[in-house]
Amino acid sequence: MKDAQERAGCMEAWLHNHAEAARRSLARRLYAPGQSLILIAVLGFILALPAYLWLLLDNARALSADVDHEPRIALYLDATDADGLRSAASRINALPGVAEITPITADEALAEYRASLPEPTLLDWLEENPLPAIIEIVPLVKTPEAVLGLEGQLQALLPEATVISDHEWVRQLQALHAAGMRILLVVAGLLALGITLILAIAAASELRERHEEIAISRITGATDRFLRRPSLYSGLLLGFGGGLFSLLLLWAGFMLTRTPVESAAAIFGLPMAFATPDAGIGLILVTTGLVLGWLGARLGSAAALKD
Amino acid sequence: MIRLQRVTKRFDGGTEALNNVSLRVDVGALAFLTGPSGAGKSTLLRLIARLERPTRGRIMVNGKDLDTLPRREVPQFRRSIGLVFQDHRLLLDRRVHANVALPLEILGYRRTEARKRVRAALDKVGLLQKENAWPQTLSAGEQQRVGIARAIVHRPALLLADEPTGNLDPKLSREIMELFLDFNRVGVTALIASHNLELITEFGRPMLHLENGNLEARHVKPGHSAG
Repeated sequence: MKDAQERAGCMEAWLHNHAEAARRSLARRLYAPGQSLILIAVLGFILALPAYLWLLLDNARALSADVDHEPRIALYLDATDADGLRSAASRINALPGVAEITPITADEALAEYRASLPEPTLLDWLEENPLPAIIEIVPLVKTPEAVLGLEGQLQALLPEATVISDHEWVRQLQALHAAGMRILLVVAGLLALGITLILAIAAASELRERHEEIAISRITGATDRFLRRPSLYSGLLLGFGGGLFSLLLLWAGFMLTRTPVESAAAIFGLPMAFATPDAGIGLILVTTGLVLGWLGARLGSAAALKD
Repeated sequence: MIRLQRVTKRFDGGTEALNNVSLRVDVGALAFLTGPSGAGKSTLLRLIARLERPTRGRIMVNGKDLDTLPRREVPQFRRSIGLVFQDHRLLLDRRVHANVALPLEILGYRRTEARKRVRAALDKVGLLQKENAWPQTLSAGEQQRVGIARAIVHRPALLLADEPTGNLDPKLSREIMELFLDFNRVGVTALIASHNLELITEFGRPMLHLENGNLEARHVKPGHSAG
């Protein structure tokens, strides 16, 4: 019974200690709001920048997925006669990913070409038909990955053929998107490192300003954990503020970009509704702010309490 | 309570602050540490509070061997000690009650309990009516008494005072010393460094004389008379 009471007392004292540390750090922040606001602003900018770029990249990726486009694969077969074309076509037809195929012999291709020319007699100068036989293929699954997979299968099936997909630009966009995401990740990482160090320096200088209090507290039996607790709360406070501010900046940036991007998309005939920053992004920004704030304070206080 | 065995403290640069000092102070005893400035009084007190480590020798305080005391247990150890400084070292950005409450804050006392204890400590040093004052507005004697209240508020078993009357006039000095005697009467072991021989001889308590880092080996018991 007494044990339980003692434990409850300890728990209460521990909670009280934390509440007191949080109150003290808030009071200190409010006492010198200038520095806090600057740190919150810097943290906000640093969080908002990669989030904004991510939003743009994400919209660009959505664009490639949204486009209502029937991918086609063209297979060019040089020096293949009608029989060869037929046998190639039947082998392709047997592939599971193929929805529809259209074989076109070299002669048919030439005839089609001739029909499209304003002066068809020009082709009479040619000694032989320079065009290859073609098989046009509509894949069953239209995703870029599936189209790419089918292309590989076709190339393996007919190594002598030249396989070209008109879906190429989607893949290029995807590759650019992937590269963009990686660059963004690196930039965000560097920015996070930078802001963590800035917050660490701020926490360390604040602790050094309190050096008399810390010296007295140490003499009275304060642990490092006790001494750095207000700094950690300060870090969390700054991180929370920075996260919220970054959300505000992101929203403002989105509002400023939305109209021109959507009208540009409309001119290109692209079906684009700019995706808005949602609660998920908000949660990520605030959480990142809290983590960076805590981390900066932890590093800074470790450095300051060591010397 | 305090036990020093052949303790030597040499600072970087070769200055020898203490030379082969042995001393024993029993629980409940009170002793004055005397000697000219630079004799090593502060160093001895700092060694006992483990604010310094000895170059050689062994120090036992409150049953703890300070040489083998792990770093993480040092804060816990210091909580059993109250320290009073000549320059009182109050925090100027906190009111009197908050200064006195600092050790309780560290110990995690509940606010109501802490307030009660702070008021009791301030009452003890006669400054209850100044609990909301800022330290700068107090006289030197009052500031020193706030420093003493802070040193005893958590009821430490051992009180160490380094020239607590150094800046005070004779009347105030006597009042401060009497406070320490009061604490000793309720069982607090105390070691008080002072070079004010005239004053401390009046109290008829044991005096340990440090000179050039040397101290005659002594065993101080409670209620011991001057000798």
